[in-house]
Amino acid sequence: MDRNWDDLVDLRRHAVSPRVFVDPAISELEQERIFGHSWLFVGSESQIPAPGDFITNSMGEERVIVTRDTHGSIHVLVNSCRHRASRVCRIDYGNTRSFTCPYHGWTYDIAGKLIGVPRFKEAYDESFDRGEWGLLEVARVETYRNLIFANFDPEAESLVSYLGDAKWYLDIVFDRTEGGPVALPGIHRWTVRGNWKVNSEQQSGDNYHTDYLHRSVLESGYLDIPVFRGAEPWVRDLEVKCGNGHGFMLLGIGYSANYPPEVIGYEAAVRENASARLTPAQANLVNDGMTYVANIFPNLSIIVSLGFASVRVNHPRGPTEQEIWSLTMVDQEAPQAVRDFARDQQNRTFSPSGIFEQDDGEMWMDATQSMRGFYRRRFPLHYGMGAGRGRKLPDRPGIVHPPNTEIGVFGFYERWRELMERGGVRK
Amino acid sequence: MTDSYGDYQREFEALLYHEAALLDSEAFEQWLELIDDSVRYFAPVRATLPRGKEDFGRRELVAHFDDDKAGLTARTRRIRTGWAHAEEPPSRTRHFISNVRVLAFDSPLGTARVASNFIVFRSAGDRDNRTFFGAREDTWRMTRDGWRLTNRLIILDHNVIEAISVFF
Repeated sequence: MDRNWDDLVDLRRHAVSPRVFVDPAISELEQERIFGHSWLFVGSESQIPAPGDFITNSMGEERVIVTRDTHGSIHVLVNSCRHRASRVCRIDYGNTRSFTCPYHGWTYDIAGKLIGVPRFKEAYDESFDRGEWGLLEVARVETYRNLIFANFDPEAESLVSYLGDAKWYLDIVFDRTEGGPVALPGIHRWTVRGNWKVNSEQQSGDNYHTDYLHRSVLESGYLDIPVFRGAEPWVRDLEVKCGNGHGFMLLGIGYSANYPPEVIGYEAAVRENASARLTPAQANLVNDGMTYVANIFPNLSIIVSLGFASVRVNHPRGPTEQEIWSLTMVDQEAPQAVRDFARDQQNRTFSPSGIFEQDDGEMWMDATQSMRGFYRRRFPLHYGMGAGRGRKLPDRPGIVHPPNTEIGVFGFYERWRELMERGGVRK
Repeated sequence: MTDSYGDYQREFEALLYHEAALLDSEAFEQWLELIDDSVRYFAPVRATLPRGKEDFGRRELVAHFDDDKAGLTARTRRIRTGWAHAEEPPSRTRHFISNVRVLAFDSPLGTARVASNFIVFRSAGDRDNRTFFGAREDTWRMTRDGWRLTNRLIILDHNVIEAISVFF
């Protein structure tokens, strides 16, 4: 497809065309070029601890099953029978030895191998090789800190290389304790009538919106803090543009006076113990009132605050709709009071009814719908805040700038353009 | 049979319709007066599972709401700031309550368990229309000031749902 990529993502002017969000042809092309070549988060190992465990999920618009086989290996299988394409798994999670397609009864084992074809001997001859007709398996599956990622591209760089500088920041949350975060039961899943990128870009480093859009949270006294940032720029208040389109926001907001002492005590102990696992600069970012927001390109977003982690994927559903699937995660070691508090906070703040989430979704919908008009589409959006002003620091990776800046947000689009323009294939 | 509770049918229908009218007119402060200080207001997430496997009592199951009175109060106070954009400008919201059944009535304790179905239509802006379907199972407690809601289990019929800025 021939396109003028400068018109879509202008690297010099730091501008993005509205067509990037609403053009159906671009959305279609993203399926293969972005979602066909990126490491996509498909679940937490804690969701499938035992052999035979499985969950369903999607990678872009592709429906998949994530399974653990009898040897403990993880497989990511396309949830579509090889015979007539119906789903072979029609429930959200469980434990099984096999998946049987309800249409004609083809049966596959937990690793995707075709093991049963009804009336095989009378209906087929020897030219049919069952070994060739297993479930389609996503080429690459790798894990980092118990987070499972998969990649359709067999030639893709390794997951750790793909995460790159982002690992240092992920470890602040996912390696702060021995056990690390595990998923509570149930998944918050909701739709927003807005393009998935409007969501992912925000998590990549838009702290500019928080004081304004989320003013109701401050004014209602839900959190007794004046603004959504602290007083230690560069050290505990920073936004980070990592390579490959990953972005982080770290905000030393501080604790609200209404937080339970058990939670503050637990977080203080974790912070102290984390210094044995992490560098001093990392350990200094372990709680003590930290809020942490991230996007791992393309669509894994992480929101951490108040002892919970909302680990969510912003699945595209055509250009103007997305489906958000959010796991609530807490440290495996967390005592019950901390788990309960984390769950309450997640339910109230960043669930489909969350007092932050409601208003974010409203803007993602509004922005997307506003860009559908032919005239608005001609004029780009500005992403140049802080451009060129980020710095490298000796004690941490990535390009850093205190809030507010859009270097992380635009970094998302730089990566998006790179993959879209070169056809997604690394030469 | 539920016949023995039939005497209370009209009373609880009237109560639930009154409550719905308070929500539809955004009379949140009056609505909160119907809510007991000990309330649990719980709307667990749903899942598609084999028949009989879904368990709303599952420990730590995450929820669209799992609020106490303070949580509900905070939510309504937020709307009152005028900065809660999902309800600003205000939506047109309508509650339809039906299939009211008094499941149990304990006279000495002054408590009642009441089930109902709902449709909540919420229309915002020009055509941002969302419809929520579900059932509720309530426990109400008689006080000197009238009936107060002490427990509400909200079973939404949606698995993947649209964002929720209304109460059920």
